[in-house]
Amino acid sequence: MYECMFLLDNTVVREDWKKAKAVISDAVLKHGGNVVTSRRWDERRLAYPIKNKNRATFVLCHLDMAGSKLPELRRELELSERILRYLILAVDEIPATEHELSTAENADGFAVPPPPSDDVVEPEPVINTPESLEDILAEGEMDDRPRGRRSERASAEVAP
Amino acid sequence: MSRDRRAPLPPIAGRNCDDAWPEYKDLENLKRFLNGSAQIYSRKRTGFCSQCQKALKQAVKRARHIGLLPFVG
Repeated sequence: MYECMFLLDNTVVREDWKKAKAVISDAVLKHGGNVVTSRRWDERRLAYPIKNKNRATFVLCHLDMAGSKLPELRRELELSERILRYLILAVDEIPATEHELSTAENADGFAVPPPPSDDVVEPEPVINTPESLEDILAEGEMDDRPRGRRSERASAEVAP
Repeated sequence: MSRDRRAPLPPIAGRNCDDAWPEYKDLENLKRFLNGSAQIYSRKRTGFCSQCQKALKQAVKRARHIGLLPFVG
């Protein structure tokens, strides 16, 4: 028995909650597992951006699957773009409250509140614009000029 | 002249080893054992036994992995 916490991309959750949950269950079923309970744990701001997202929906699941199939599932979860991150832990038993909460969520009439839209990390503004080839060449020519103060150079030219 | 030293802070009370171990989902409880930079307090400060402190460490690291707590505060 495994307890799993998945971080789902909020764009997928906004489209359709059932489809978002199906992303997890499809991956588990593909590798011969069974999703015993599955519920939305929370939607919150992340402590640090993960895959350029500031917010994510946390889904708590309990799986029943063979341990030998776990590496394959992990690989699939790593490759998925809709699952930002996951945590799989081995547990002895499922807490009784999880069954109730999971069935309550799967019942008709349950609506998941849509997540807020500030989940995309804005890229930092680029300060140093890339120099063109002409600028670099012009800088090279500048280096060839005689160094020193202008007055010294002028006097050196005049003296002879 | 000897340098003045502050008295050590008392251990964070409110838990004994018979209670359930700290869990990564229980953020409010975990935050009691972290400083302002989200660093784990020492055993001297938390007042935990060896096993409970290890469970706390594991829980905080799991919470960091799934983005509930920062790696650097």
